[in-house]
Amino acid sequence: MAIKLLDVENLTMKFEGLVAIDNLSFSANKDQITSIIGPNGAGKTTVFNCLTGFYKATAGSMFLNKENEKLNLRKFSDYRVAQRAGVARTFQNIRLFPQMSVLENMMVAQHNKLMDASGFTLLGLFNSPSFVKKEKEAVEISKYWLDIIGLTHRADDDAGDLPYGDQRKLEIVRAMCINPNLLCLDEPAAGLNAKESAELNKLLLFIKNKKKTGILLIEHDMSVVMEISDHVVVLNYGKKIFEGTSQETKKSPEVIEAYLGTDE
Amino acid sequence: MDLAYFLQQLINGVTLGSVYGLIAIGYTMVYGIIGMINFAHGDIFMVGAFVALISFILFALTSIALPVVLLLTLLIAMVFTACYGWTVEKLAYKPLRKSFRLAPLISALGMSIVLQNYVQAAQGARIKTLQPVIQGGFTFMEETGFTVSLSYLQVFIVLVTIFLMAIFTLLITRTALGRAQRACEQDRTMTALMGINVDRTISITFIIGSSLASVAGMMFVMYYGVIDFYIGFLAGIKAFTAAVLGGIGSIPGAMLGGLLIGLIEVFWSGYISIEYKDIAAFTVLVVVLIFFPTGFLGKPDIEKV
Amino acid sequence: MEKNFLQSSIKDSLFTGLIALALFGPIIGLRTVAQNEILVVQPKWLLVIFIVAICAVGRFLINLYTFNRDQKAGHQSSIGKSIGNFLDTKGTQIAISAIIFSIIFPFLPFTDRYLMDIGIMMLTYIMLGWGLNIVIGLAGLLDLGYVAFYAVGAYSYALFAIHFGWSFWICLPIAGIFAAMFGVLLGFPVLRLRGDYLAIVTLAFGEMIRILLLNWYELTKGPDGLTGIPRPSFFGLPFKSFPEEGEQTFHTFFGLEYSPMQRIIFLYYLILVLALITNLFTIKIRRLPIGRAWEALREDEIACKSLGVNPRNTKLTAFAIGAMFGGFAGSFFATRQAFISPESFTFIESAIIVAIVVLGGMGSQTGVVLSTIFLIGLIEVFRDFESYRMIAFGGAMVLIMIFRPRGILATRKPTITLEKKKG
Repeated sequence: MAIKLLDVENLTMKFEGLVAIDNLSFSANKDQITSIIGPNGAGKTTVFNCLTGFYKATAGSMFLNKENEKLNLRKFSDYRVAQRAGVARTFQNIRLFPQMSVLENMMVAQHNKLMDASGFTLLGLFNSPSFVKKEKEAVEISKYWLDIIGLTHRADDDAGDLPYGDQRKLEIVRAMCINPNLLCLDEPAAGLNAKESAELNKLLLFIKNKKKTGILLIEHDMSVVMEISDHVVVLNYGKKIFEGTSQETKKSPEVIEAYLGTDE
Repeated sequence: MDLAYFLQQLINGVTLGSVYGLIAIGYTMVYGIIGMINFAHGDIFMVGAFVALISFILFALTSIALPVVLLLTLLIAMVFTACYGWTVEKLAYKPLRKSFRLAPLISALGMSIVLQNYVQAAQGARIKTLQPVIQGGFTFMEETGFTVSLSYLQVFIVLVTIFLMAIFTLLITRTALGRAQRACEQDRTMTALMGINVDRTISITFIIGSSLASVAGMMFVMYYGVIDFYIGFLAGIKAFTAAVLGGIGSIPGAMLGGLLIGLIEVFWSGYISIEYKDIAAFTVLVVVLIFFPTGFLGKPDIEKV
Repeated sequence: MEKNFLQSSIKDSLFTGLIALALFGPIIGLRTVAQNEILVVQPKWLLVIFIVAICAVGRFLINLYTFNRDQKAGHQSSIGKSIGNFLDTKGTQIAISAIIFSIIFPFLPFTDRYLMDIGIMMLTYIMLGWGLNIVIGLAGLLDLGYVAFYAVGAYSYALFAIHFGWSFWICLPIAGIFAAMFGVLLGFPVLRLRGDYLAIVTLAFGEMIRILLLNWYELTKGPDGLTGIPRPSFFGLPFKSFPEEGEQTFHTFFGLEYSPMQRIIFLYYLILVLALITNLFTIKIRRLPIGRAWEALREDEIACKSLGVNPRNTKLTAFAIGAMFGGFAGSFFATRQAFISPESFTFIESAIIVAIVVLGGMGSQTGVVLSTIFLIGLIEVFRDFESYRMIAFGGAMVLIMIFRPRGILATRKPTITLEKKKG
């Protein structure tokens, strides 16, 4: 039995009367890929925004099991979710730092660690050896990930100058630099061609298998979802309409109805 | 006595609030449509005040009846000042629509410096004094020892403001132009694809905003009787505060905000401290932006992730 | 085709002329002047006709030029770009020669009192520019009230020096800390505001400080200003022509003839050192995690949050450090002038410093130097034409935003590179 990583119960999000998420409960396991799928406007990204502290959920609970600790995600607001609970995320419309180099993007992701090492800047100003060492380590970690996605040769170029597919991958490994417990990916395959999609699958499986990081995935590209998900949650109009393995999902009449509609 | 004093402050506050409200409409409309703070708007108001001043001086040499003079000056100020608004938009903002986010703001700052110093160079740095145009008024509560007076000028200012407000609200809510404006606020690209001339809509927004500011300028020069090239700076900030207080993007909000700022300023100077009267407006600005950024009638601005 | 173009172009010029007439007719053409305390209008139609003609003809020539250029297609001048490239590649050499030049400047044969004063003024602005560059250029926070920190620095320096008689080197850090504290005090509530709101709130804050200085008479002497601020001394050796009995002064100690230039030269080096410290500090801090976080925040705040970067603290640090350097510059200003009043700290000063940073290229240290030389030079050359120079100044801000929105030096170098680490 897999270990439970994320436990969402009765999550509800209302915007001035509009119910975006309605009493949603699901869970995600460690070293598994959990996909959230559903038609446009089903509330998938809103789930992410609640999880990662960008929105304050109206009701419900979200718990993250971090080693032996049980963290209440609702207690953390915006940046603290990433800093304290180690929940990293990417965005539908890629959010890199376009005018900064690829390596700098990776370094910013290791900010908190480096900030401590630089003695809140004071030690860093005088090049203290401990800080120099930590910084070297951070560069090595960045290089490790860049090697994996094959972007090491472009480390010193502006991130905004990379081709689209590489930007997507960079955003994912940048999120990995915070050493997350849970990685939330918002449509990582959007706009990728078949070859790039395949590479993405490989990267995600690598993160899951080798890094033992749980992944929560929002995706429209069914080839990605079906191929790599261990567990699928289907949303429609903010409600969970189905939950199961990818094989079960394919056959479920509710899911087919939500996607294709019914004849009336 | 206390009541009389209070009433007097109320009357003065409403008058001043009308002036701020008229300027605030320009801020709010421009902000609504292109999402920028038109920093030079306060100076457009100042130009309007100067045009009105010049017009009054010229009419004083003729023997045209007062109501006609007022009407003509109103129109002259609106037309000439609108040209300024239009030109400023064409020169300083239009080329920057696709630039980075602080560019229009800095450009507007530059334009504000240009306008101030241009008027200073052309009209001189000294303050300009205008002889009262409308005199007399009503007085109340004389028996209490402290007279409350409501001048004809104050009545004129408030009535004209209400009249213009009504007309422009109708314009925005009931006409094709207003629809085009509201469409531009939502999505400029889409509006252009629907065959609406976005550039022209934005230009017209600036023209309307500037002409209302010029009316405020005319009121200002009539009410205070003195102006200089620098009045736009403070009045601009206060009117912007009014726009934010009312809810930026909302025209009734701008008017409401203007009224409140006018009242706050007058009551502050009347009851607390006249030296720090400008601090009152600034404090309101800071407090509102921090705790209450949507204002009274604004729409909440949900951060899109 | 040609004829059509000519026709529309003439129409366009006439329209431009008409607009120009509307713009300049009343304001320039009808100058109001007071005669016996009553305003009368002095017509200046010749001037208006002249300006309108220039506008119309100018418009026509521009039309003609763009038409010809479009015919040839593809030909575009890029002087700005080539200057930028040149400076980017030769950056270090230029920086070193500039520093050497500024060190020997006081002893060059043509250097006189006037040039020294301008040198000191430019260095003060360069220092302010570098300080504000942290806030605007790196952290991307448009602060229109920077002069407030300059004022806080100047007044706290002056008050401590006058009332406690402490020396420059003690008061300087105190002034810096005071300014930084004000930075935090202001920054704490306002830094979560969006860019343009932040700009207007900082502007309001700057004005509030000025109004406070004007009206808090017991402390600041209001519009009269503070006088008798102690002049700086050379490590305890004052600059005085007539030393008191037994007192060592700068010239007696070094066995020199007394000259008022000695103090000026000392002040010059003082501000040079302060400015260079600001610069070195900024260059260094940009390469530290905090500096990288500033730039990341400027690029995308939401992405920063998703990576666990605390936006408020990060911005607050930028604000406080920027304010601190403003405070240092303010203490220098106070000790140099020996007199300060709220008049020196108006909004226009903030605007000038913002313009220096923006024109230079946000985040570029060399850019700040270049734009200071250009803008302060411009203001200085036209010093007898008070309002015309400010028109040129404001116009320059608009033109830069239109033609080179990223400033003179737009390229940025990464703060850390992989190649160098390996090599």
